[in-house]
Amino acid sequence: MSDDSLDLFDDIEGEEAPPEEGTAPEPGTGITPDEPKVWSVTQVNKAVRTLLESSIDSLWIGGEVGQWTRSRPGHCYFTLKDDRAQLKCVMFARESQKLPVDPEEGMQIRVMGSLTLYEARGDYQLVVQKVETEGADGLWRLAFEKLRSKLESEGLLDAALKKPLPRYPAVVGVVTSPTGAALRDIIAVLKRRAPWVRVLLSGSRVQGEGASREVASAIDRLVATGEPDVIIVSRGGGSVEDLWAFNEEPVARAIAASPIPVVSGVGHEVDVTIADLVADFRAPTPSAAAEAVVPDAAVLRQGLRGMPDRLARGLRGTLRRRRDGIAQTLLHLGIGVERRAGPLRQRTDRGMAQLEREVNRMVERRRQRLRAAGGRLDALSPLATLSRGYSVAQAEDGGVLREIGDFTVGQKFRLRVKDGEVISEVQDLEELDSA
Amino acid sequence: MESSEKPAALEGRLKRLEEILSRLESDEVALEEALTLFEEGVGHVKEAERVLAATELRVEELLASGATKTVEIDTE
Repeated sequence: MSDDSLDLFDDIEGEEAPPEEGTAPEPGTGITPDEPKVWSVTQVNKAVRTLLESSIDSLWIGGEVGQWTRSRPGHCYFTLKDDRAQLKCVMFARESQKLPVDPEEGMQIRVMGSLTLYEARGDYQLVVQKVETEGADGLWRLAFEKLRSKLESEGLLDAALKKPLPRYPAVVGVVTSPTGAALRDIIAVLKRRAPWVRVLLSGSRVQGEGASREVASAIDRLVATGEPDVIIVSRGGGSVEDLWAFNEEPVARAIAASPIPVVSGVGHEVDVTIADLVADFRAPTPSAAAEAVVPDAAVLRQGLRGMPDRLARGLRGTLRRRRDGIAQTLLHLGIGVERRAGPLRQRTDRGMAQLEREVNRMVERRRQRLRAAGGRLDALSPLATLSRGYSVAQAEDGGVLREIGDFTVGQKFRLRVKDGEVISEVQDLEELDSA
Repeated sequence: MESSEKPAALEGRLKRLEEILSRLESDEVALEEALTLFEEGVGHVKEAERVLAATELRVEELLASGATKTVEIDTE
């Protein structure tokens, strides 16, 4: 506050008591006692500003938004009006950057600020610190809807873009605060359901100024490693403002750009964020997100327990479907495996090892027989069968001739018998009635 | 390190198991192939069970440098 304004201020206050007769002019001003004292515009505006600022505390004012403009550095200028009057308002960048979105013309809002005078223009105005809408989270809702329709128009919310989650991820990426409750919840679930996974945590602040960009870059960093099979983006519950980073564009863009499926788990059941809409899967809470990305070990183990049975059934089925002599032989062999393996399956751990040994023995036996025969038959050949009087017909190229359709009259073929080959020729073909 | 590779194979193993089953149940499969598939399937079941037997969840923090460091997260 300059001395000039103080003088004027004092003078204004002193008006009630007129100056005493004979007050001497300041020496050297050249003003005689009879002439009025002349103040400069600057002095007056300074004085009025001081008066305004010192006599009225900051206050809430309600009204309708007139024109709202935002300058390049982020300062916002607008008018607040009712049906009879209007008030110029300014909201500087430091405050306006906290707004989720600029209010639209005609919106009913209330603002908190202090009155001042813009000396250069002589306009009196309200310097605004806070803007609220009549409905508690009106501005947040407006911002949400604006971003949603923007992303929607770009097609980023299309169901067709949703990537399927891996069923059995090996590496789970997690983007959240390293010190938050959300991380503890997620880890607890993964520990219980899928302790074999590896968790790659990409820490980030999840609320406050710039949190949205931090979350986005934490996602980018995970993606850059190429390691996660799926990524959880999460934070625990909080107020609309606490969760706001997940309603901002940077997070939405990072999720949409991720080639790795992203599961969101933000806040509580009722909180739906932009991140939820863009994510490949929306889980209502951090714990639910963890449950969504990994299978339950107990269920998996149960499924595996039934596997040997299903494999054996499949093998037996294959054997049954074969109609030629070779298949018959292996069918017996197969049933043998079944019979021997059956009881073992009751205890999987033990059963697996034995079943495997069983199969290995079987394969090894066949190899030995082949070596003993020294033949060039394919590995299928069950020589034991041949020795019992069966034979195998083979085409010139070595392919096994299984059914009548494989033969043509006059075709030469080889008949593999126990101790050699008989070069043969087809004379006639007779199909069995039953075939 | 074995434990760091095996989990990665879990997805592949279980998928392969499903393939083997559906192949075994199909009409075209030849005997030799069926036996090989059976053998392979049994191997996958064994390995998958070994992976599922893991009890320690590994948590690593991704640092700004791109390196990772193991962290302990207290879930109590």
